[in-house]
Amino acid sequence: MNFLSPGAIAIAAGLTVPPLVALYFLKLKRESKPISSTLLWRKAVEDLRVNAPFQRLRGSLLLLLQLIILALGALALGMPMFQTVETHDDTQILLVDQSASMNVIEAGGRTRLEIAKEQAKRTIDNMGEGARAMVIAFCDRATVVSSFDTDKDALKKNIDSIEPTQSTSNLGEAMSLAEAYMQNMIIGRQGEPDVEIRSNAPPAAVTLFTDGRIQDADHVALEKFNLDKIHVVTIGTRADNVGIVAMAARRHYERPQFLEVTASVRNFGPKPVKLDAALYVENNLVDIQTLELAAGPAPDGDKKSSVGEAPAVPTAPDGSEMVVAFDDIEFEGQGLVEVVLRVDDALSADDRAWTIVPDPSRTRVLIVSDNAPFFQPFQEALKESPVDIVRMKPAEYEDAPDEDIADGARSLFDVVILDRHDTARLPQGNYMFWGCVPLVDGVSVDGTVDDELIFNWDETHPILRHVSVESLNVFKWLRLKLPKEAVSLIDGATSPVMAYWAHGASQYLIIAFSLITEDHGSYSLNTYWVANPDFVVFMNNAVEYLASAIATTGKKSITPGAPVSLPLPAGTKRATVIRPDSTQDKGLPAANQMLHYGRTRLVGEYRVEPGVPGNDAFTVNLFNSQESYVRPSAQVTLGSQIVKTEAGSVLVNEPAWPYFLLGLLAVLLLEWIIYNRRIFV
Amino acid sequence: MSKLDQLSFVSRKIFAGKLRGERLSKRRGESVEFADYRNYVVGDDLRFLDWNIYARLEKLFLKLFLQEEDLHVNLLIDVSKSMDWGTPNKALYARRIAAAVAYIGLINFDRVSIFAYANGLQHELPGVRGRRMMFKVIEFLTRMEYDSVGDLPKATKQFAVRHPQTGILIVISDFFDKSGYEDGLRYLLSRPYDCYAMHVLSPDEIEPELAGDLRLTDIEDDDSAEVTVSRALINRYKHNLQAYCTQLKEFCTRRGINYLFTSTEVPFDQILLSYFRNRGLVK
Repeated sequence: MNFLSPGAIAIAAGLTVPPLVALYFLKLKRESKPISSTLLWRKAVEDLRVNAPFQRLRGSLLLLLQLIILALGALALGMPMFQTVETHDDTQILLVDQSASMNVIEAGGRTRLEIAKEQAKRTIDNMGEGARAMVIAFCDRATVVSSFDTDKDALKKNIDSIEPTQSTSNLGEAMSLAEAYMQNMIIGRQGEPDVEIRSNAPPAAVTLFTDGRIQDADHVALEKFNLDKIHVVTIGTRADNVGIVAMAARRHYERPQFLEVTASVRNFGPKPVKLDAALYVENNLVDIQTLELAAGPAPDGDKKSSVGEAPAVPTAPDGSEMVVAFDDIEFEGQGLVEVVLRVDDALSADDRAWTIVPDPSRTRVLIVSDNAPFFQPFQEALKESPVDIVRMKPAEYEDAPDEDIADGARSLFDVVILDRHDTARLPQGNYMFWGCVPLVDGVSVDGTVDDELIFNWDETHPILRHVSVESLNVFKWLRLKLPKEAVSLIDGATSPVMAYWAHGASQYLIIAFSLITEDHGSYSLNTYWVANPDFVVFMNNAVEYLASAIATTGKKSITPGAPVSLPLPAGTKRATVIRPDSTQDKGLPAANQMLHYGRTRLVGEYRVEPGVPGNDAFTVNLFNSQESYVRPSAQVTLGSQIVKTEAGSVLVNEPAWPYFLLGLLAVLLLEWIIYNRRIFV
Repeated sequence: MSKLDQLSFVSRKIFAGKLRGERLSKRRGESVEFADYRNYVVGDDLRFLDWNIYARLEKLFLKLFLQEEDLHVNLLIDVSKSMDWGTPNKALYARRIAAAVAYIGLINFDRVSIFAYANGLQHELPGVRGRRMMFKVIEFLTRMEYDSVGDLPKATKQFAVRHPQTGILIVISDFFDKSGYEDGLRYLLSRPYDCYAMHVLSPDEIEPELAGDLRLTDIEDDDSAEVTVSRALINRYKHNLQAYCTQLKEFCTRRGINYLFTSTEVPFDQILLSYFRNRGLVK
């Protein structure tokens, strides 16, 4: 048995025992009772004094009992515990994983997060007197649930407030927060204006409550922490889970009224699974397919990835991952497409996936170009695409009434292609600049480049997918100076040749070269690419990418926690977002006719009201193998260090003070009986 | 009172009284109760010759008859402070007993004397006879004061010296005398009294109900004893009381003193009608 507050015992005993003993040794105030004669009483007292053993003690039995009562009370104040965990430091940091995998329902019907919160509260209970703790909850973002506090009740209450999410896990931000709070900051001294930052943080014990499925575990910086004081409590045992890891809904290229929906389903559990996958379109059941998936990775399949990479999900064994395809689903118009796995598994967040299929409408493209030679290549490239092309000459574009090119602050066109025309007239929209630049801050041109070669490009970018950039040869291009946020897609030696820049509500694809150059009325090709089939592919990719409202594929899904920007109708001051759980976020302010929204930790469909048709909804899907692979990690690596991992529950200090109090009450009752009944041993 | 009318004292010892009472004395007298024979001498009354014996033995014997004499009833009442205690009060009880005993004596024309003693003989009511003197008895008993420390030996010594007349002697006391009761009772044995020791205690003394830490104060001599009352102490006290009473009884019995123990809870008429009768004090 240990005592969490031994000092209290000494104080209580010191304050009560001496006065009690003194009272007993002081002459007792006795009640005077007249009797007829003391003749026989004296004799009786003398007889007892002579005959009774321990005669001194007999008179002091009540004193002894009262000393026992005081001792029991003092010991109870010392917070006795039947068992205590390993002593922690006076400063503790508790990190609670609230990512999607912590929603797994374990035996007993509790989720991993609920178990983790209970373990965290036990750790709080185990704290010694005067110890302080801090609680941080983390998923894709970290939140300080409670800064350093010694109030155990307040800490536990804050722990209870941690809500489940369906986001991924980002431990690095949580550790950075913890490090920041550990530093003491002294703001100035009298007469000194400077802020002095002093780092004299006491050594803190860090306890991480997680199932081990941490995406950035390998990137966590531990320099500021003592590795011996980092402790991981792994939560959970279940490993059975089947999840949707990818989904796409595509309209048939030639028959846009029909949908093709595919979903990649993977079994992460140790046993084969047979399940049904159902397709809903606008909440109507359309199709069901039965899948049989082989067992997922074996229990020892957790492999450490290369240094610097997140712990890898083991490779899917053969047959454990399948793509279910729903073909020829007739559906016109915009709607919600949902794939549901009918399976009872550990994590339900990945059993459903959504996407929004917009109207099979045609993309409106405005080409601002001068003469036909310049305009024609674009028209040719897009002739097979479901696009409606409008042409304006540069002067017409600049002079056109606002209502002809924009709806309020938003462009009327899905994509505006500008051919050798720098312009500042850029309502919110998507722009492709050929041999020209947007006249906005941060973008400038510093001459031309005509003696360099293209030597690097990002072939993984959707715009360059299936484009053979190596066939691109350009005679000259503008030397671009772009903001650092711009992403270079094709590089020359000294400047980008093609770059993508998401600027506010607009997207700019800046191509530093034009297709055709003009010199005193004569036209010549600046690149032979225009005659290359890759140009057609590129133009279609670019229009498709910039348009966002992808005509042939469903809206892009975002991951839980990722922010989203949606256009709002002109004049909208405030908007409402209807969340997947039917709750509403009302009164959200609009900024430049855009709604920026970040509360996306729930998977499902989100709708905006009022919204721009075709852009008034988005979906959030988990699509994360790291979270879907719910098997708790037996070993957790942070940074490059393997940390102590303890599976199961935190030992709890079992308080013994109730028993001391019970004993106190029992002795008190005995003392009362003895006093009143004069029963002496 | 009507019950007491039927009672009369019976003394185990036949004594000569100064006046002829209603009691036969062993002294040879002229009553009708035959007592004994003696030889005839010239001058005896021929009426008391027993002719039957002369016929048998041809000798002349004279019949002797018992003399009727009065009986002295002496009450020696303890009026020390310890008697004025208890519920029911011992003093009141002793007065009632004394009044009843006195009444029996008075209605039987016995001579009744009452002596109050504490530190020696305090007050006395010398021999009174006849029913009409009952008021004096009551008046005397009423005026008794309990304000002294008891000293039985001194009192009995004084009594034995001053009042050597024989008769019945009833000592009514709680016998809580710190100087002891032995010497006091021995003085009474110096005279041929038909002696009764009536030991009166209250229920508070027999079964004390005390608790806690107390300072017991003796109301006679202000002696105090600090006690922590416990069951053991109570039991020891009772044991001592029992032993004390037993010793007193044995002392009395060995010396021909009739010992009577009573509690003030016992109705006093029960004492007289059955208690005294069973012990032969009254009939």
